[in-house]
Amino acid sequence: MNITDSGAIMSGKYDIAILGGGPGGYVAAIRSAQLGFKTVIIDKDNLGGICLNWGCIPTKALLKNADLYEKIKNAGQFGINVENCSFDFPKIIKRSRDVADRLARNVEYLMKKNKIDRIRGFGKFANEKVLEVFDQNGNITESIEASKIIIATGARARTIKQIPVDGEKIITSTEAMVLKDMPAEMIIIGAGAIGIEFAYFYSVFGTKVTVVEALNSILPIEDKEISEALTKELKKKGITIHTRSIVEKAEIKGNRVEVTLNSEGKTSVISADIALNAIGVTGNVEGFGLENLGIELFKNHIKVDKRTYQTNINDIFAIGDVIGPPWLAHVASAEGIHCVETIKGLNPPAIDYDMIPGCTYCQPQVASVGLTEEKALAEGYDLKIGRFPYSASGKAFAVGEREGMVKVIFDSKYGELLGAHIIGSEATELIAEFTLAKSMEATFETIIKTVHAHPTLSESNMEAVANAYGEAIHI
Amino acid sequence: MRIDVVMPKMGESVNEGTIIKWHKKKGDRVKKDEIIFEISTDKVDTEIPSPSDGILSEVKVFEQETVPVDTVVAVIETAENSEMPQEKTPVSPSFEKKQAETPSTTQIGGNLIEIPMPKMGESVMEGTIIKWHKKPGDPVKKDEVLFEISTDKVDTEVPSPEDGTLAEILVGEQQTVEVGTIVARITSKGGVYKEPAATVVKTPIVESENIIEKRVPQMDSLYAEIKSNEAFQEVRPSAKRFYSPLVLNIAQKENVAFEELENIPGSGVEGRVTKKDILDYISNKGIVKTKEETPSYSYPKKAPEKSFSPQEEQKQVLQERTQQEKLHQPSFSDGNNELIPMDNIRQKIMMHMVKSRDTSVHVSAMIEVDMMKIHNFIKINKDDFLKRENIKLTYMPFIANACIKALKEYPYLNSSIDGTNIVLKRYINLGIAVSVEPNGLIVPNIKNADEKNIIGLAKAIAELSNKARTKKLLPDDISNGTFTITNYGVFGTLFGTPIINQPEVAILGVGTVIKKPVVVELDGADTIAIRPMMYLSLSHDHRLIDGMLGGKFLKFMKDTIENFDLNDI
Repeated sequence: MNITDSGAIMSGKYDIAILGGGPGGYVAAIRSAQLGFKTVIIDKDNLGGICLNWGCIPTKALLKNADLYEKIKNAGQFGINVENCSFDFPKIIKRSRDVADRLARNVEYLMKKNKIDRIRGFGKFANEKVLEVFDQNGNITESIEASKIIIATGARARTIKQIPVDGEKIITSTEAMVLKDMPAEMIIIGAGAIGIEFAYFYSVFGTKVTVVEALNSILPIEDKEISEALTKELKKKGITIHTRSIVEKAEIKGNRVEVTLNSEGKTSVISADIALNAIGVTGNVEGFGLENLGIELFKNHIKVDKRTYQTNINDIFAIGDVIGPPWLAHVASAEGIHCVETIKGLNPPAIDYDMIPGCTYCQPQVASVGLTEEKALAEGYDLKIGRFPYSASGKAFAVGEREGMVKVIFDSKYGELLGAHIIGSEATELIAEFTLAKSMEATFETIIKTVHAHPTLSESNMEAVANAYGEAIHI
Repeated sequence: MRIDVVMPKMGESVNEGTIIKWHKKKGDRVKKDEIIFEISTDKVDTEIPSPSDGILSEVKVFEQETVPVDTVVAVIETAENSEMPQEKTPVSPSFEKKQAETPSTTQIGGNLIEIPMPKMGESVMEGTIIKWHKKPGDPVKKDEVLFEISTDKVDTEVPSPEDGTLAEILVGEQQTVEVGTIVARITSKGGVYKEPAATVVKTPIVESENIIEKRVPQMDSLYAEIKSNEAFQEVRPSAKRFYSPLVLNIAQKENVAFEELENIPGSGVEGRVTKKDILDYISNKGIVKTKEETPSYSYPKKAPEKSFSPQEEQKQVLQERTQQEKLHQPSFSDGNNELIPMDNIRQKIMMHMVKSRDTSVHVSAMIEVDMMKIHNFIKINKDDFLKRENIKLTYMPFIANACIKALKEYPYLNSSIDGTNIVLKRYINLGIAVSVEPNGLIVPNIKNADEKNIIGLAKAIAELSNKARTKKLLPDDISNGTFTITNYGVFGTLFGTPIINQPEVAILGVGTVIKKPVVVELDGADTIAIRPMMYLSLSHDHRLIDGMLGGKFLKFMKDTIENFDLNDI
């Protein structure tokens, strides 16, 4: 152990140092250790990143509460009488936190198991090969030298000046996960996956939710038909939706928030107890010395070569949300593995960004992989489209989940599955079949000729594909 | 009195029936209500009794043949006129109309056996009938030669599978058909053959095939099934990697041959070809094509090493060549030129030679060998060997033996190139080039030649040459060679620069042994002596074998031959 000039302990040399312990960083660390690299991971917080601590996992916990509560409220239609059904909001929030904490500990355990050094602190580049770690008080605690450094610092909620986040009245998803009380009214700005999930969650527990989206539809990256179906379902749940509406300003007036909307030229003002800013995320590129190294950025994200994930500086790599869209945990993990395997020289096949599934966990759930109908048409494909409504599925009927649809889009020339879009119960699980089908380059015959268990919702996948070719049985 | 027996109508919408089995054969006596045949229709299978006592004088429909309801399937002569049927029973005019649908041969009793074009090797998909040894009507014995064929790999004789009579020849001489195509039918013993109305051989093939289709639809569909299965099996075992359904779809739609597909580099998991890879390949192919369309003669594309002997490719090379050559050559015989179509073997040799030259970088090296020791040994032991082993001792087994020793010493010469890999062969299958009169060349190989001594090699060489000249080689004899020796010395040639037998990487040429004055050292003094000398030349593929290795190989051979261990024999 050496003492550096600055007084920090030189913790030794590593093959790979990873800055950030989210689903990109920690997965990269494990793969790195598996491949025999001496590995260190640095994060100021619990491992697992936003995903595990403040994103995917705790929100899924909250959404399960919402789903369960909604089901119990509707138990009457199953002949089950539940009287005085009520909820304990702080307990709901606590369960979500417990789940996150427990999983974060699991990740810490995985680091130990794989003999990865875990340093808690804020890492900063001293030079291209050395990271200095600072404690909360800004003192250097350690200095680490590594042959390769992977930046996996993630992203955070994007803020704009029109929507001044104060963390109490105007909040981001982080605060939305730990509100002390149920707000009576809430405005959610941005109808992407995060916005829609919170809209669903709060509306189930009785909050009057208004969703504001600048683009033409909610979940604007999803297939239009799916997003229209979801709009209908959410409106049924009492959610107000304003699309094509730009937020001109959001102001705190006493204990209310007033949001001024510009809807295609018409200005209106809506108000609520709380406004949630869910307009998107932005890369964490500040504060750890990237500018001193001259690492190239684009729109607040690090620019990398997506074959190797190397930045413009040799031996410095970046993965996950910090390199830009699609800002998904599973993409960060895949990039982390790919990056480390490339360093090892395994020459893994490039990640195909057309085959990344996306999921939204409101009820009904929305999941998709590949091209939307609009995109496929724009790319000049001649399409064969198949649909299968849940209402034609025996299983959906039996379990009382009749709202939903599987939509598949094929290229009529080669029979390629271009895209699959599912709305309805378990959509986020059902999409896996199409993700595999796409990555295996299956054609419609492959899917139709695969025997699907009966009765399952997954039969709808097969039927939708068959429908595209006029061979569906149950419709 | 003649009673016609017709195919009965077995139900409302049943319009045809298939005869499954004849219980009686022509000439048999039948009783009324005795079962004479069994039929199968869409609805039922049933047995048909005789309408009357008598003798079954004619059987007009074969087993497994399907005919419309009311077709006369047999004729019974009743007791009033019960002499045995004549061979030339006059055919009623109403029946004549159906002639086209009935067999062109009349066969009664016994079975009709179809003779397909045999499959002579893994990638052999078609064969040419060179010669029919029998003509229709000839009796044939089991294992007697029916016809001779020539395929991509080998010429061979095809024997009859059964005793019987050659009923029909469906594919004439010099016709090339796909493996599995029925080329003849024989009636097995017991069947009576009747001279066909028309001479079948003269009818165009296509027409005969149509007749078959009409006659035996079930067999036909069965055959189609077998054929498609074969096609499927062709693809599977040779596939070196997984192809996704989408890639296969694209290949099919864009006419990318399987061999071509095998050579597309894959960027996917474990080298799989992805959609992008094949689409890139197709779009690049388009570019190459347009380049090739330029008027100037473009040298045929270098064949990828991996795809040795895919027929398509060879054909393409051949076509490109012949198209170019056609421009400068007459396309007909006239007073000054005689146009002789190449036979199958010649065409194959042409393709193999062109392919080899386009694949390997040929370099040749020569060495002079003093054969005195071997020469003397043969001179002394020749008669003894002929008596004892019944073999004519020549230089060849000694040269082969020295060659095998050299191959063991320098195994790179006993290898092949697969893409950017070298495939070292742990076995030595030594090819011996054999010229086949009048105009052919074939290279059968001695399997595991390294396990044979001089006598074994001598016998193997004699046997293979003999088999080659009598067209008795089997596909196995000519596949999997690892190194070839060609002995042009028999024609008096001193040395040559032979072309490598793909996918091998070298070939040894053996020159004639000729007595020459040479300078030798005797007791430390240079002196001129008369010695039987021979040139060995080695053509090697410079992609893998450099001059040094080629030179060392030749030197090793020279040393081995000149100092041959005669106790070894």
